[in-house]
Formats: sequence, C-alpha cells, structure tokens
Amino acid sequence: MAASNEKIPTAKTPAGWEFTITRVFDAPRALVFEMWTKPEHLVRWWGPTGITMPVCEVDFRVGGALRFVFRGPDGKEHRAEGIYREIVVPERIVFISTLHFVPGDEVRTTVTFTEHDGKTTLTLHRIHSVESDATKGEPAGWSQVLDKLAAALANR
Amino acid sequence: MPPDHLSATFAALADPTRRAILARLIAGEASVTDLAEPFKMSLPAVSKHLKVLERAGLIARGREAQWRPCRLAARPLKDVAEWVEHYRRFWEARLDRLEIYLRELRSKEKKHGRQ
Repeated sequence: MAASNEKIPTAKTPAGWEFTITRVFDAPRALVFEMWTKPEHLVRWWGPTGITMPVCEVDFRVGGALRFVFRGPDGKEHRAEGIYREIVVPERIVFISTLHFVPGDEVRTTVTFTEHDGKTTLTLHRIHSVESDATKGEPAGWSQVLDKLAAALANR
Repeated sequence: MPPDHLSATFAALADPTRRAILARLIAGEASVTDLAEPFKMSLPAVSKHLKVLERAGLIARGREAQWRPCRLAARPLKDVAEWVEHYRRFWEARLDRLEIYLRELRSKEKKHGRQ
C-alpha cells in the first residue's frame, strides 16, 4: 500500500490553549470535504474505535447544529454539540462546540482543505474560549492573556 | 472527561476581571488594595473574585503578612495545557480513522469502476 499519509509536525502555542494538526490525504479535496458533511460518512470515523454513534445529526449550513451521541461498550453515553459558523465548499469549515462540563468555555475548530496533485492537505486548528459571552468584545482573546501567564510561570 | 478541578479552572478564567487580575499578578505579588485600584471596584467585590481564583488554585495568598499578598500559582494552567494536549491526540486518532475510511471508499470506487 502506498504511503498516503505524511505526518507533519504539529505546531502548538507554548501554553497549549490551541493546536494545529496538518495531514495529507491521498484523495481529491471534494471527497475529503464531503467526509465532514454527511452523517453516513461521519459515523465511520468521528467516534473512537469500539464506540457507536446512535445520534449523528448534521445541519450543514451556517448557523446549523451538529449533534452527536457516542455510546461506549459499557452502554455509557456522551453528548457533543456544536454550531457551524462558517462554510466555504470545499475549502473551509468552522464550528464552535460547547463543553457542557465547562461553563463559559467554547472551542472553535477550523478545518481547511487545499488540493495539490490530487492530494488534499487538511489543516485543523482548535482554540479555546474565543467567543464565549465573557470574552466577546475584548480586544485580545483570553488565550493571549493566558499565554503570557503561562510564559511568566514557566520562567520561575 | 477531565476531572472537576478543570471546570473550576475554566470557570475562574471565564471572566475578564479575573483574567486582568491574573495578568496584573505576572508583575509580582500584590495586595487586595493594589488589585482593586485599576478596576474601580469595591474591596469586597475584588475579594470575591480572589476567592474564586484561590479556590481554582490559580492564586495563592500569603499567610505571613497582615495584607495577605496574592501571587500566581502555576499548577492549574499546566493541567489545562495537558488537557488540551489530550484533545490533540484525540484528533490525531480521529484523522487516522478518516484516512482509513477514505482508503476503503476509494478502493470500493475503483472496484465499481467509477473513479
């Protein structure tokens, strides 16, 4: 089997409030993009191995909701929810997910797709709490403040 | 799932005043009066914020002096960073599965001759 996947080193901010993963897939961009848009595809790879997704609802439009329920082998269920903020077919998807156990925290995930020679480079970026009510309108997102904090603490 | 103390950390951080207090403490320890000054807040209001930060372990308060100086504590921020790192690994694995699935799809397409 041809090596179709090159792992590019992952970039991280020093504090780790966000991360970026870059992957190259041996498939055209339209196809890789489609994998993110339909439940029939998402159920095949979104959940961890051994975990089923009894609920996989995707309203793939800006403002539309993502709703997933994962069921583990022990029958325990775990919910995940989000809202699409930006969709540019077949280039870019931005969604916000809320973590119900962390009040005020939101995670923004940006996925971008570029194609070169029939291969697709996917870049995934995730950052915490950029748009929660508490931080709306602040000139600098809290991750910058926290990065400074972490840097200060690391130097002790 | 992260342990409960992470939610306490996030809840404590999800407030601009408390983040500003933390940012101020980068410069060094400070008293409640020092911290209250830039916010035009009453001392009890600032004390309330400090209690939230202290409960989350983000600051420590001195016992040695009458004015109980506040200083930054590193541990909870490190925990959050580790937790985010856990998510990174989770997403790496998810993209591994996407790759396997794509490969399956494409070999099926080839068999059915609709490349």
